[in-house]
Amino acid sequence: MEFSTSEQPGAVVVHCRGRLNMVAAPRLKELLSSTVESGGQRVVVDLTGTDFVDSSGLGALVGGLKRCRQAGGDLRIAGAGQQVLTVLSLTNLDRVLRPYADVAAAVDGW
Amino acid sequence: MAGDYSLDGLAVPASLEELHELLERVGTEHPQVAAEDLMMLETALVEVAANVIDHGRPAGSVLWTVRLAVRDDRLECLLSDTAQPADVDLGAASLPEDPESEHGRGLVLARAALDRLEHVRVAGGNVWRLVRLRR
Repeated sequence: MEFSTSEQPGAVVVHCRGRLNMVAAPRLKELLSSTVESGGQRVVVDLTGTDFVDSSGLGALVGGLKRCRQAGGDLRIAGAGQQVLTVLSLTNLDRVLRPYADVAAAVDGW
Repeated sequence: MAGDYSLDGLAVPASLEELHELLERVGTEHPQVAAEDLMMLETALVEVAANVIDHGRPAGSVLWTVRLAVRDDRLECLLSDTAQPADVDLGAASLPEDPESEHGRGLVLARAALDRLEHVRVAGGNVWRLVRLRR
């Protein structure tokens, strides 16, 4: 999985391309922590290019969410495909990590 | 038998890629299988495999064999591992009480994605049976 970051007004966007499984999850968690430490309190995780997520990937997203909130910010996910949406729903995590259609929708009115 | 696949590997994180590739190959060679059924089986298989990687002992030297069959009514996958017998109660697996927990969803997710998930201790390891009925 490849990660990159970009800036949107008021938010840092972390783009994730590939499969977010137990290999990639610790790297994402670390990246989200360092993003918050660098002052990015509002983070959008762009899952447009994420083909697959497993429970460890979900854990990394939840961990990132908590990290952002501890810093007074928030984390939103955007652009999730069918597998990611299904997995969020089957684990009830769509209540904790509400999926936004795309990055623009996630930062809109934030 | 047509539609049967087999894969041997070491139960380490790097081997997960081979499982993803196996499912991709099944999808390419069986275009009539619904994408959702393959996606659900892949989701469950990766969770079961991750569980073996995380908890299988001796860590780092457990081997697995994955067999996958495409049938008219179902996708069936057997993952046999050489780990010490796993002390796991699949029926008792439930989502974490803390909705913001970072762990503890894997086997619940695997069960939810399947129609049947079984674990049997056998001589020299464990067998995990995953069945997804075709929609």
